[in-house]
Amino acid sequence: MNVKHAFKLWVLGFCGVATVAFVPTFDATPALAHGERSQEPFLRMRTVNWYDTEWVGKSTAVNDITYLKGKFHLSEDWPRAVVKPHRTFVNVGSPSSVFVRLSTKVGGVPMFVSGPMEIGRDYEYEITLKARLPGHHHIHPMFSVKEAGPIAGPGGWMDITGRYADFRNPIKTLTGETFDSETEGGMTGIMWHIFWASVGLFWVGWFMVRPMYLIRARVLAAYGDELLLDPVDRKLAIGLLVFTVAVVTIGYLAAEAKHPITVPLQAGEAKVKPLPIKPNPLVVEVTHAEYDVPGRALRMTVHATNNGTEPVSIGEFTTAGIRFTNKVGAARLDPNYPQELVATAGLTLDNEAPIQPGQTVDIHIESKDVLWEVQRLVDILHDPDQRFAGLLMSWTESGERLINPVWAPVLPVFTRLGA
Amino acid sequence: MFRTDEIIKAAKLPPEGVAMSRHIDYIYFIPILFVTIIGTFHMHTALLCGDWDFWLDWKDRQWWPIVTPITTITFCAALQYYNWVNYRQPFGATLTILALATGKWIAVYTSWWWWSNYPPNFVMPATLLPSALVLDFTLLLTRNWTLTAVIGAWMYAILFYPSNWPIFAYSHTPLVVDGTLLSWADYMGFMYVRTGTPEYIRMIEVGSLRTFGGHSTMISSFFAAFASSLMYILWWQFGKFFCTSYFYFTDERKRTTKVYDVFAYATLAHADKAKLSGGKA
Repeated sequence: MNVKHAFKLWVLGFCGVATVAFVPTFDATPALAHGERSQEPFLRMRTVNWYDTEWVGKSTAVNDITYLKGKFHLSEDWPRAVVKPHRTFVNVGSPSSVFVRLSTKVGGVPMFVSGPMEIGRDYEYEITLKARLPGHHHIHPMFSVKEAGPIAGPGGWMDITGRYADFRNPIKTLTGETFDSETEGGMTGIMWHIFWASVGLFWVGWFMVRPMYLIRARVLAAYGDELLLDPVDRKLAIGLLVFTVAVVTIGYLAAEAKHPITVPLQAGEAKVKPLPIKPNPLVVEVTHAEYDVPGRALRMTVHATNNGTEPVSIGEFTTAGIRFTNKVGAARLDPNYPQELVATAGLTLDNEAPIQPGQTVDIHIESKDVLWEVQRLVDILHDPDQRFAGLLMSWTESGERLINPVWAPVLPVFTRLGA
Repeated sequence: MFRTDEIIKAAKLPPEGVAMSRHIDYIYFIPILFVTIIGTFHMHTALLCGDWDFWLDWKDRQWWPIVTPITTITFCAALQYYNWVNYRQPFGATLTILALATGKWIAVYTSWWWWSNYPPNFVMPATLLPSALVLDFTLLLTRNWTLTAVIGAWMYAILFYPSNWPIFAYSHTPLVVDGTLLSWADYMGFMYVRTGTPEYIRMIEVGSLRTFGGHSTMISSFFAAFASSLMYILWWQFGKFFCTSYFYFTDERKRTTKVYDVFAYATLAHADKAKLSGGKA
């Protein structure tokens, strides 16, 4: 093999590697989720407990309005490793801006900027969305905590139909103008960039038409710079200096005249209110909890007292956006809730009888499903703080829902019981 | 109009050497130097002032005019050193910013529009060309890098905000949504969902500079000018460090000398080259 042959092989190999490397660029499969399963279980289970999440309008036409709404509880068992929610932002997890978000209200209060929230309280949010990019999109509510990062809520599919070319988003300003968010200011910016690039190219081109490097370096080394510093360059520099400063000044004054009314960027703090605390006659305390690794089940023993006047039946345990229900809970499930996040018969109680008024019972509750594995919540056993948290939901005979936050340390069970 | 003929004559190159030098100019200047600056400088700005430059709702009166000039004058100073000291070419800053602008506009349409679907007006980059041009003019007119650090670098930072106001003034138009006053830029940032960039990431007029009579922009620009001046000096020295080349020459009496004039190497006779002490250059 001579050098020429080796070089040919190298070129062919390089082309092959380049082709392989570029294939994903042109044949990339869209991401169907946002890595929520990769977030540590302690983050998903013990910070935000999502419930009543609704993806209103599973199919929306471009330009139509839809909503993402629901409630969440900020867990009392907030992990030590996560910064407390002193500055938070209710966000949307979506593959780019497939919707434009027109408004977010938390407890009825607009939340355009971030604000503090309280641990142990419940919040209701409603996000108004306008369909923009057609497709089949996986959309999450998201809770971002400053210095802790985004915490993804449950993801649901929303379809957008139509053509992007038809998307319009005109907004009226306080000065009476109507701006379209897709285009406003774009051409002005491009024109200014082209203008200044032209001046810059002229300046560099002025020197490019003459020998640039090697010859000048030889002359500089041999004779110094007297010959290289051409007087005509100085004259041009003076002229262009005056021109540049003049254009900047005129441009600034013209912009001031065109936009006499402006405000600085607004970055205050949203003062959102939690939902009022509802009296809850059911008192629940977890006395023991364990995770059965081979059985894919979280088992907890709860000490429950019904201080109300009606019998209460436990029907659902929810954590990290996934829901385990028995017959009581399944009967009340929203049929639009993503089925892949629900274990309809995943909740079993050793005593299914309703808790009678005045009664105190110890109940063994088991939430069991492959979802623990699929959603990678079993990784709780690799956390530095092996605890769980979630919401236990129960219903009175008259249909009122009672929500009890629960949390406890989790003991691992690595071998099947009785084996 | 130009002194081109005198310069070529003084270079003492044969005609084929002159022709070859022009080929080298073009091959080196566009595919190598320009593209290298695009890659390195674009990455540098994306890391150091990226969010301020990407997003419409980050361009505040305080941090934007501070962060952008300070972090971008860096490569300008280093490339000015290279082009001026070695070739007396006064376009280092302009060339650098042209390369940056090229990289940014490629990113606007590939990364932000084609890949991420954000409209170009939302990710409109700032222009730094007026600032860079004035920096180059100052170096040429003063022929002195210290004066350029004092006058040019100050002008570089001071011109940044007014030269960008014609592009971004409209984005400060007020509007009211759900009873809340917002600027258009704020609302754009809110409307176009950024999953990994929650609102609190923004640094909007955070700090004590705003207490100077409320003239945030003026104070910020002067602070940026001062810091840019220092940054210019530092990066000019970086340029010097990376552009300095030398070799060691050992004469017949075995005395070794450090020679900075690399052209002397090219003019050495073959026999003299053979006398160079090996491995030290």
